[in-house]
Amino acid sequence: MTKTDPIGGLMTTTGASGTWNWDIVTDSLRIDTHFAELYGLGSQAASEDLPTRSFFQAIHPDDRARIRIAVAGILAGAELFSKEFRVVTPDGTTLWMHGRGQSHLDANDEPIRFTGLLVDVTERKRTEEHLRIAQTAGGIGTFEYIDGYATATVSRQFCRLLGLHPANVLPAQTINSVLQLDGPSLIPGPREGCIPDSLDAEFRIVRKDDGALRWIARRGEVIREGAGYRLIGVIYDVTQAKEQEAALRDLNDTLESRVEEEVAIRQQAEEALRQAQKMEAVGQLTGGIAHDFNNLLMAIMSSMTLLRKRVPADPALYRLIDNALQGAHRGAALTQRMLAFARRQDLTSERIGVDALIEGMRDLVERTLGPAWSLDLSFQTNLPQIVADTNQLEMALLNLAVNARDAMPGGGIIRITTEYRRVAEGDIAGLAAGAYVGLSVIDTGEGMGPETLKRATEPFFTTKGVGKGTGLGLSMIHGLAKQLNGIFTLASAVGKGTTATLWLPVAGGDVRGAVSVAPKPELPSHAQRLKILAVDDDSLILMNTAALLEDLGHEVLEGNSGEEALDLLRDNPDIDILITDLAMPNMTGIELADHATDIRADLPIILASGYGDVPTGAQQRIIRLGKPFGQAILAQAIREAMGRIKSQ
Amino acid sequence: MIPESVTLAELERDALTEIVNIGVSRAASSLRKMIGEQVLLSVPSIEVVSQHRAARLISEREVSELVAVCQDFSGPFSGRALLIFPETNSLELVRAVTGGELSAQDVLDLEHEALAETGNVILNSCLATMANMLKRSLTMTIPEVVRGSGASLFDVGEDRATGGLVLFLYIDFAVRSRDIRGYIAMIMDLPALATLKELLEEFIIRVVGDEA
Repeated sequence: MTKTDPIGGLMTTTGASGTWNWDIVTDSLRIDTHFAELYGLGSQAASEDLPTRSFFQAIHPDDRARIRIAVAGILAGAELFSKEFRVVTPDGTTLWMHGRGQSHLDANDEPIRFTGLLVDVTERKRTEEHLRIAQTAGGIGTFEYIDGYATATVSRQFCRLLGLHPANVLPAQTINSVLQLDGPSLIPGPREGCIPDSLDAEFRIVRKDDGALRWIARRGEVIREGAGYRLIGVIYDVTQAKEQEAALRDLNDTLESRVEEEVAIRQQAEEALRQAQKMEAVGQLTGGIAHDFNNLLMAIMSSMTLLRKRVPADPALYRLIDNALQGAHRGAALTQRMLAFARRQDLTSERIGVDALIEGMRDLVERTLGPAWSLDLSFQTNLPQIVADTNQLEMALLNLAVNARDAMPGGGIIRITTEYRRVAEGDIAGLAAGAYVGLSVIDTGEGMGPETLKRATEPFFTTKGVGKGTGLGLSMIHGLAKQLNGIFTLASAVGKGTTATLWLPVAGGDVRGAVSVAPKPELPSHAQRLKILAVDDDSLILMNTAALLEDLGHEVLEGNSGEEALDLLRDNPDIDILITDLAMPNMTGIELADHATDIRADLPIILASGYGDVPTGAQQRIIRLGKPFGQAILAQAIREAMGRIKSQ
Repeated sequence: MIPESVTLAELERDALTEIVNIGVSRAASSLRKMIGEQVLLSVPSIEVVSQHRAARLISEREVSELVAVCQDFSGPFSGRALLIFPETNSLELVRAVTGGELSAQDVLDLEHEALAETGNVILNSCLATMANMLKRSLTMTIPEVVRGSGASLFDVGEDRATGGLVLFLYIDFAVRSRDIRGYIAMIMDLPALATLKELLEEFIIRVVGDEA
């Protein structure tokens, strides 16, 4: 604002207006003083006829062509002129003008005059610009609705938010057609009657252009006008907030069940840990007692073997002794099994014909079951062999048979079947594709419910009364199957019985060192009288071993420790063979073997061990002998040791 | 997409809007004489769109069925012109142009004729003004009244070729303080629109001269 132009400055802020009168016939222009001020013309311009080109003189060059065209329209017969354009005043200020004009026609409908009003709308333009930017930047669309109309005035952003083509006026019905659900209208229809209390609401819409589901919030004011009203408001997209809110609510709603789930998982983990700890304790306990237990069994077995030779030939006596021997053998197998289970020791692998194994077990199983139960064996012919540990498999079969018996307390028939099957991937859950032999033990007893079935192979799970079972049976069979790359399956229905099946892979053609069914001990042959040094820290065992050897016709020197054995070895260079226990205090069997080799490099050595493992690095020529051993096994080991030396 | 060869520049759109404005002003003047009442017509905006889009534009804005007066025109640029009203507005228009003293039944009976006549006046004025201002001549067929949805008016059936474009004009139509909105649509093919564009350029140079 300058002192020389106080009115012009005032006019720009107040939206000043001026008028014009364009005489088409004389091609001249009259303007008033305000128009002259707005155009930055001197006030004398208002008092004279101006050339009509003066109308365009102050118009911004970018707008001039547009206005010329519009005026050309009026001069050619258009009735209404309504244009916004920029005017640049001589001092360089740019102002926005709105020119609103009209043509006047003569009796022949020919235009003769073009008059109008020029209004400074700079402020309004600026405000509009602010509003436009606010709308696009803030994602807010505006609307105005006047009670009783079928249409609403809307902004471009309003249309964009709803996915409609931009327009200034839209029918209420079109706007409301985006609503997803029947409910309150976004814009009231013309006959909805009552005045709304508030515009605050949220709407679920389907955006028209892309079909997206969105949430739209509406806010604004209800303005009462006489009996009617006017709604002025805004809408904006609140989908993100709504989604977050929903997610939060969902999270909140499911909190309890998620906590329960977590707790259950934790309880399961704790249960599993407790079970694992129990198993470890059993393993340690088993390992700890195995040695002593084996020694006791050895004493019993060797004594019984010798006793059988010395008692009068009475079948009744023989049967009693054989029973005792069988019991001792089973005890030994049990020890092995517990060791294998507790220490996860590798099972010995042998080629086994399953049907022969079952046939061989028949007598034992029938006697174990008792008279009320009978066996029905049904084998598939030409069944291929499998690779397993004979003892383990026998125990598994016995275990399954006992379970089947217990499921039928009143007696019944237990079926044992074998089958060869080529399994495809996914045929049997958990079993890889390949050839398998299935061994099933089937009863028609009580059966198990799904809950029991699920837990049946867990260690220590038992449905039998306290003292009737360890609960280890099925879990050990399960472990056996896993170890052999097979699987153990249980199918059962309450009241219908249970089918327990052990699927084991068919033996490949290249399994080395394979033997058929467990070799029957041969009778000892009194081939050669040898001088044998027997060493054991347990005098009971030592005495028994010596008795067995002497019975075989050998001469026996006894040593109670490694040191004593070495002395005897030095004093008796004619000793043919050394048989020593593995676990001895001060000097172990391995150490003794090493020292003995220093004295006699060619001395055959037999190492007897109650544990299934001989440390690696032990000398190749050492023959391993599992404790407890019988006389026949002992004789076999001696033959093998002597033979190996000879062949060297 | 609308090819660039027929996309109207801002100035060309302004020029066409003004030319149509002259046309509707003449039509308004004719209608005033017919009914002896103040009739105001103006064209606030104009767009070139595809037929599909034209159908969508109109069905988004108008939820009722539509009534249209059609006239085919031929000359340097040929096509079909439509004056479209929402059906609810058409009776209002008939009442307005017939003086409002008719019974409802009379209005219904007269609707077809009155619409055809009104449409003829408006479309004729527009097309004649366009021909005149662009210094060319056009011939027109007699008007025909059709009813239907946006899609059917713009021939966007599935088996129809829909390559044509639509010159879409909104018109405000005020008769005796009744607000009636309507649309003028001109369906033209690409060569016709390209010709129209060229003629508009010539017109602009004539009016604006060096300043364009």
